[in-house]
Amino acid sequence: MTAAQSLVTSALLGGFVLFAGGYGLLYCLAKLRNSPGIARAAVLAYVCQGVVTVPLILGPLDLAWKILILGSLIVYFAIPQYTWLFLERLHASREPQP
Amino acid sequence: MYRSQHLALKYFTAAMVLFGIMVVAGLLGALYYVQDGLLLNKLDFSVVKTLHIDTMIIWLLMGFIGAVYWFMPVEFQRETEGIRLAEIVFWIFCAAVGVVAAVFIFVQYGPANEASLWLINQGRKYVEAPRWAAIGITAVVLVFIYNVVGTAAKARKITGTMGILMVDLIPLFGLYLIAFPAITNMSVDQYWWWWLVHLWVEATWEILIGCIMALALMQLLGTARRIVETWLYIEVALVLGTGILGLGHHYFWIGTPDYWLGIGGFFSALEPLPLLGMVVHAVYDAGAHRMQTTNKPALFWVMAEAFGNFIGGGVFGFMMTLPQINLFTHGTQWTASHGHFAFWGAYSCGIIAVIYLALQKVRAQERLEGRAWKWSFALLQIGMVGMVGALLVAGIAQAFTERAIGGSTLQAYIQGQSHPWFVQGIGMRVVFGVVFAVGYVALMVDLLTIGKRRGSVSRLSPRMAGDPA
Repeated sequence: MTAAQSLVTSALLGGFVLFAGGYGLLYCLAKLRNSPGIARAAVLAYVCQGVVTVPLILGPLDLAWKILILGSLIVYFAIPQYTWLFLERLHASREPQP
Repeated sequence: MYRSQHLALKYFTAAMVLFGIMVVAGLLGALYYVQDGLLLNKLDFSVVKTLHIDTMIIWLLMGFIGAVYWFMPVEFQRETEGIRLAEIVFWIFCAAVGVVAAVFIFVQYGPANEASLWLINQGRKYVEAPRWAAIGITAVVLVFIYNVVGTAAKARKITGTMGILMVDLIPLFGLYLIAFPAITNMSVDQYWWWWLVHLWVEATWEILIGCIMALALMQLLGTARRIVETWLYIEVALVLGTGILGLGHHYFWIGTPDYWLGIGGFFSALEPLPLLGMVVHAVYDAGAHRMQTTNKPALFWVMAEAFGNFIGGGVFGFMMTLPQINLFTHGTQWTASHGHFAFWGAYSCGIIAVIYLALQKVRAQERLEGRAWKWSFALLQIGMVGMVGALLVAGIAQAFTERAIGGSTLQAYIQGQSHPWFVQGIGMRVVFGVVFAVGYVALMVDLLTIGKRRGSVSRLSPRMAGDPA
């Protein structure tokens, strides 16, 4: 890995997680406010995470890390959805009904 | 209030004083980078750095201990067992910290013999406290464990949160024992030393703050215990699952076998996943209550904890955790950037949130509000984000010029230190450090006055304030 590649790869890795966070946050806000606009923004954030993944996959990282990043991309997609679902069920089952 | 909660307030006060010393030492440390020869042979950089790092460890530890003393009697519905001993130990703890700080500042170093290890400095980063003080810290933690376990035993009761906390106290105590042996082989020494530093920070402290946040959320948002505890179990499993072997990212370049490159990189890459889950949980909880709470400052600091942990630990960590990148970034200002942000997000924000919760009760306020906390919150967050941004820029210049291009030679080191990005980054770190320090002053003013100002008259009855019967 060259000096320039190391910087670009590092920035892409940071962007990868940052977009994942943006997706998670926007997904939650869309659910809370029942807003299709924010939901679209969440999808856009996830697409950006996917776009950032492409140069990482094509870049100088070792194959094992590329597989890990690709796997993470899929897991990051599911985390907000499943966490939200889990929290809803948890609250529904534990909190006293009005 | 319980005596245990009075003791908690003392711990919070001591923690905030040490927080201030940490800020001053940090600012001074930052100035060494922009002013060559500053206080040379009077107060060397290494001493100031030790003060900065050690006060951080101690103020966070005092904050954790204070938080547990605050919540424990409420959890067990009784006074803390052995509270008299705990009160005595608090003063001994404070006196010992004062003596150690004075020795660091005025004695600084000694000859390379056993006496220096016992009386001046053990010499290992983060746990420099001389051996007598390290034994004292061990005694403090033992008394703390006795208080927690003894109270549970006397109450004949155990909650999920307190159960996890009690189990967590075993490694919290056990890992600290690694501070004692003087191992002469550098690789072996580093190997075990990282157990202490990493497993404290990314395992036992994470669980401790998880328990404290669980207790805080029940008080802050009235979230049901079963919900909070179910989430806590999941969080503990995920944090330990990724955090324990994430230890491997410290083993990349210290002379350990190269399988650590794979193990450390893999588990470190997984570490942001539970942090994202925590962000989702924080937004869900805040949204479910429509950000309505009687304690806005505490809610904002809890939110800052979730987001700061994710960005500081997750984003900044993932940028540099894969071995191919870490080859160039480790030990640069880039690492300092990640460290500052992660500690701030994961721990400091949480402790400040608990202090606001405690103050609401102490000052018997039905609703804790005001303007000063917004200023302190904004200044501290802007100061921290500015500092870590500046350190990141400086670290990038270092990693690129000194490591990746220059190959870590002395000449490359000089080039890295004189690179415009490094110089500007280090300068901006001082500027934002001042912003952070102003935020600290605003925080202290607010903590001393919130709920006391004219107009803050909505007092709770003693019963509502949760006084013991």
